[in-house]
Amino acid sequence: MKPRPAAVARQPVPVVHHLENVMGTIVIIDVYAAADGGAGRPAGDLGRQLAEAVAVLHRADATFSTWRPDSPVSRLRRGEITSAQAPAEVAELLEHCAVARDLSGGWFNPWAMPGGLDPSGYVKGWAAQHALSAFSGGGICGVLVNAAGDIASTGGPADGMPFRVGIADPHTPLRLAAIVELTGTIATSGTYERGDHLIDPHSGRPAARAASASVTGPDLGLADALATAVAVAGEPGLDLIGTIEGYEALIIGPDGSRRWTSRFPIAADRTAPHRPWLPSRCY
Amino acid sequence: MRRAPIVITATVAGLIAVLEFHTRPAQVNVGTIPAAGSAAASPATTAPSLGSAGSGASPRPSSSSQPPGGTRTAVGPAVNYNYGVLSVTVTVSRTRITKVGIASLDDGGSPRSQMIDQQAIPILEQEALQAQSASIQGVSGASYTSAGFGQSLQAALHQLGMR
Repeated sequence: MKPRPAAVARQPVPVVHHLENVMGTIVIIDVYAAADGGAGRPAGDLGRQLAEAVAVLHRADATFSTWRPDSPVSRLRRGEITSAQAPAEVAELLEHCAVARDLSGGWFNPWAMPGGLDPSGYVKGWAAQHALSAFSGGGICGVLVNAAGDIASTGGPADGMPFRVGIADPHTPLRLAAIVELTGTIATSGTYERGDHLIDPHSGRPAARAASASVTGPDLGLADALATAVAVAGEPGLDLIGTIEGYEALIIGPDGSRRWTSRFPIAADRTAPHRPWLPSRCY
Repeated sequence: MRRAPIVITATVAGLIAVLEFHTRPAQVNVGTIPAAGSAAASPATTAPSLGSAGSGASPRPSSSSQPPGGTRTAVGPAVNYNYGVLSVTVTVSRTRITKVGIASLDDGGSPRSQMIDQQAIPILEQEALQAQSASIQGVSGASYTSAGFGQSLQAALHQLGMR
């Protein structure tokens, strides 16, 4: 056994570390306590919020899964029901998808997938974002919902400390390509993702002009969709993201090169101390 | 000048977390999985194997043949993903998943091909361990985003009688 690196051992430890098997993968929910340890918080409160967050994920899976033949989205795909007959969340999600399609210049387009309507590129992020909103109240410093690499967060692991998230190196599975100081959410898409192929909506065929693309921003559903768009579009996708308020992107090219928009929150140095002026506070 | 209070706050928060939730299992339990080596070297049709994911400091049961309610670990079959072959290890306590890791990873015989020293690496920690100095709370985009990860995961859970 390797000794645990000292820098890792000093990390704040989450008070909740929950692994949930849902949406065909593992979703990790980590809750970090405020320095007072949640004094004054009603007992059981956090447990209820965790249960609600988990329920949100399972509801999203049951409603939007294209793998479950009985899900409303699967029935919609087969033409058994219309979107008006589907649960209200389906219409709501499709509205969000339409916004993402337009913002991405059509590079994200659930209506142009082989096999019919496929909002999967939006659902995982959307579900994690909603699960995050189950948490509130005193005693919590930060919450992180990691849905197989698409991460929604609020706060940080300790007062004044932002969450730091690594971006996997698409060419070397056990290395990081970059570290991000996170405010809000980050989604990463690449050729290693579910299904192993990204579809170019313009041709309907597998295509990816970047090895991976990461997008940060306030909403994980949109970030998820935009990451897919940029991974397919390649560098022109960066210019597109630059025009969307609050969202930033980083792409790793097939040759390993990294390019990012001007305000992408990349940590300048992997060992740099946390910057106390970042707007992360316990609540 | 301004950094000292931050460090102290973080330490206090971590300490309180440890004191109040001392029953939570340690996050980095890197152990050997004897069966994983053969599984990863074989094609995706290899039969699922069982192995231990416990560390030397806190040994865990070595198979799923434990009494119901105990901590049990299973390793899913090695399956192809976009960059090679991986297998997933899952530990459950009663009906709760307590740990998920990559039991083996082989990217196909290139010089950087690796078996992770036959260690099971928790998915949250795998890149952190590689990056050494990087204190991070998560990883965005990784092997576990792949369909192969999901297949091996579900097979491992099935061995443990979950879903």
